[in-house]
This record gives sequence, structure tokens and C-alpha cells, in this order.
Amino acid sequence: MIGVSKMKPYTNVLDRPLSKGKLEVSLSAFAFLFSELVQYNQTQVDNIAELERRLEDAGYAVGARVLELLCHRDKGNRRETRLLGILSFVHSTVWKVLFGKVADSLEKGTEHDDEYMISEKELLVNRFISIPKDMGTFNCGAFVAGIVRGVLDSAGFPAIVTAHFVPMDGQQRPRTTILIKFAEEVLQREARLG
Amino acid sequence: MAPAGPRFGDAIFANVERVNAELFTLTYGAIVRQLLTDLEEVEEVNKQLDQMGYNIGIRLIDEFLAKSNVSRCVDFKETAEMIAKVGFKMFLGVSASVTNWDADGTCCGIVLEDNPLVDFVELPDTCQGLYYCNILSGVIRGALEMVSMKTEITWVRDMLRGDDAFELQVKLLKQVPEEYPYKDDE
Amino acid sequence: MQFFGGSEISPSPPVPTASGNNAHMIYVFNRNGVCLLYREWNRPLHTLNAQQDHKLMFGLLFSLKSLTAKMDPTNLDKGNLGVPQLPGQGCSFHSFRTNTYKLSFMETPSGIKIILVTHPRTGDLRDSLKYIYNLYVEYVAKNPLYTPGTPIRCDLFDTTLDQYVRSIA
Repeated sequence: MIGVSKMKPYTNVLDRPLSKGKLEVSLSAFAFLFSELVQYNQTQVDNIAELERRLEDAGYAVGARVLELLCHRDKGNRRETRLLGILSFVHSTVWKVLFGKVADSLEKGTEHDDEYMISEKELLVNRFISIPKDMGTFNCGAFVAGIVRGVLDSAGFPAIVTAHFVPMDGQQRPRTTILIKFAEEVLQREARLG
Repeated sequence: MAPAGPRFGDAIFANVERVNAELFTLTYGAIVRQLLTDLEEVEEVNKQLDQMGYNIGIRLIDEFLAKSNVSRCVDFKETAEMIAKVGFKMFLGVSASVTNWDADGTCCGIVLEDNPLVDFVELPDTCQGLYYCNILSGVIRGALEMVSMKTEITWVRDMLRGDDAFELQVKLLKQVPEEYPYKDDE
Repeated sequence: MQFFGGSEISPSPPVPTASGNNAHMIYVFNRNGVCLLYREWNRPLHTLNAQQDHKLMFGLLFSLKSLTAKMDPTNLDKGNLGVPQLPGQGCSFHSFRTNTYKLSFMETPSGIKIILVTHPRTGDLRDSLKYIYNLYVEYVAKNPLYTPGTPIRCDLFDTTLDQYVRSIA
């Protein structure tokens, strides 16, 4: 019988080597799964804000695990302790692992010192979406905002993270900006570290 | 009918856009965790995962047909091979095999050698009744229903429950011919 | 313009030049006969209300498919006229042409039917229909906010479809 004989014996998850993170699935498989995450959560809420909050929660769980995985695998269990270090870790390392590319840009907010923005011309989760008029400013990027918050929070940088569409000159589709607003304690600590 | 050799699925997978499997695995984990919080009962979670899979299946079938150029399968045997060799490969990048055919060719087992859904997963004691991968059975049921095959799908083996593989039993209940959808001309 | 009979004297409509667009209209149906999409680019004459029009189109295709399969001289294995077939069973037509328009048709095993009505002198559009099916897969099936079986309201699909159909020679 094919297949069965060469089956690997069952090993406990802790006994298996941690995967190298090189395996891939089709983008469609992820797109369909993500669609279902959105559709299911739509049945659990009665407004857009609540829907975004639930997507963010789901993302948070992903983010917290991504940090553990990456620190363990890529950084020999070291973690970033400085603000710019962790931001660039999110913008490049995390983005590269999850979305296959470094994020388009990382900028400091011009009006507030505690705000940073990661922007993406076409965020993976918004790739196939058309937002009907009655859903207003709904942005599936809330899931990615949740991932970012999960990473930051677990690394000791609590923040409020939100996703926004930003219209672009000469472009049909708006880009998505992930707005990160760090908690006061983070900035105070950063100031102490000098 | 497109050729369904073992390399056919590989060729499609090589040509589609792909993402890191960890994003997929962790997102699925987040979904299961949400369901466990929302629904509490493990049995309800199993049902909801199957339903979500079904919802995916009825959409995913069109992607499968469009990308694979498969026009139709002559019989259920060919269909099962197509799911295992092309379907699993094309979406999850893993291959499956078909075994355990019954005498009249309407029931078989699909065995998964690798399953990207379960990386990092260990079932806690409180979730022992959970069919963690139940979404997969829903996907197959939904996709086949769209090509007119009513099926019943059950888990025979589950590695998270200590078995040596993942095995789904797929049973063809009936094939539904296309019918004129409007009641009568008013 | 002439509507009834008289095909010999009715001249073919001139190839529209202004917009460079040869398409008149498109329909997309699902297996349950629900019209998921209807768009028109060039249809000066409407004789029925939209619902009747869609139903008539779906009925025409359904009967024609059954008829063409029944007439197939190469296939021994065919049921009586009107006996339901499994999707994908038997042969199927892919276009017909009148003196004033051409209708191109594609059906997938999942029961999605795409119909494009164009100028009678348009060439083989089978690849175009396939391409439109791919657009449907990308921007409708994968849209997290689309509920299967409901009329399509997806900006991304609309714009790409419109651009593409206008480009068909």
C-alpha cells in the first residue's frame, strides 16, 4: 500500500525539531482561510469596530507566537530591548517571514513622538478585498495590526496598534498604514536608556 | 481531462503564489483558539470547523478548476486521486495518497503524510475530543458538493490523537444531476 | 434598426469604432440559476425587465446545452432530451452567432456559467472567458467580504473586468 508504509512514527511536538520555516503553502490557501476568519467573526459582532477588535485579537495570538519562534530560531533567544531595534525587527524580520518581503516603509509620526507607522502598498490580507460602501472604513489590516501588537507586547513594548487605509496620489487602491502608538512607560524607559 | 501524474500537482504548486506555511499554521491556530473561547464545547468547535471548511470548499473549487484546467473527472476514483495528488499539493504543498477502496469504488481513505495545519500543535487535556484538522473534511465535502458529489467524510486516524498518520474516509453518497433551477414559468 | 425576421436584408451592425469596445453585455450565473453578475456596455434595446431577461438567458443556455448534447453524432452514451445531466457530462456548445451578435459561453464543472455577447465578427473568445473566470476566482471567490451565491458587488472585480472586456478585440 502506498503512503502508509513510509509514514513517520508519531512524535510528541516537543521532541520534534523546530521547523526551519522554509515550508510554503499557496497564497490562495491562506486567502481562503483568512476569508473564513473574517466571515466567522462577522457572525459574532454587530458593528465594524467590534469586528476589527476580534480580528486584532486573532492577530495578537499569531504575533506573540511569531516572536517566540523567531527569537528562538534566528536570534539565539536574544530579544530587542531598544525601541528602534524592535521596530526594525518588525518591519524587516517579522514582515519577511510572514509576508515574504520587508515592509514598504517605516516612519516616525510627525505630530506625536510616540507614534510610528509601517506602510504597505498592498497588504497581503487586503489583496483580494473589495469593501462595500456600507462597511465604511473597515480594514482587514486589523489582523496585521494585531500581529504587530502581539510581537511588540510580548517583547515588552506595549502599544496601541491600528490599521488605516491611506489614499495614494495616482493610485486606484489606497495603501495600508499600521499605526503604532507606544505606551508611556515604553518611552520613559527608552529615555532612561539614553 | 488534464494529465494527473504525480508531477502535475507539483507543477501547479510551483507556479502559484505561495506564502510561508507558518503564517497559515499560526492563523489557523488563532481560529481554533477563537472557537474554543466562543463556543466552549469541543463538539461545537468540531462542528464549526467543519462548517468553515465547507464554506471554504465551495469557493476553493473554482480556484482549483481555474488553475488546474481540469474539466471533469470521469468517476469517483479519479476524483479521489485528483484531490490527493493535485488538490492537497496545489493548496498546501503536501501530497496525500488514496488507499482502502471498498469493493464498489464509492469509499476510500485519503492519507496525509505531512500536514501543515498541525505544526507546533499539541492537544491539551481539556481538548481531547477536538478534531483539530476538522476544517479539512469540510473543505473536501464543500468542494465535491459543487461538482455534484454528495459525500460523507470522517476521520479514521489522527496523529494528534496518537495515530501514525492522518486519514480521512471519503464516502460518496450520491451524484446529483444538474436540474433546471426555476420552479415553473410564471 | 430592424428587430424582426428579415435576416437577409438586415445588415450587420457596423463595428463600433468610438469606444473600441465590441462587447454588448456579460452575464454570470451560478449552478442555481442565480444571476451573480450582469453588465452591459452597448445595448440600446431592452424589451424585458432585468429579472425576466436573466431568466430567459439562463433558460436558453440550459435548453441549448441539452439539445447540443442530444444532437452529438459522436457520442453513444446520451440520455433522452430533457433528462438531467451531470455537470461536465456530454458535449457543450461554446458560441453561436446571429447576423447581429455573437454569444460566447463557458461553463465550469462547478456550474459557473459565463456568457459574453459581442459584435458578430468577434473571433474565438474561449480564452477570454477563461480569463474572466480567473478574475472571478481572484476578486470574488477570494474576497473575504463576498458571500457565495449572492450578486457580485466587488469594485476590484468590476474595474478589472470592465478594463479587460473593453480591450477584447
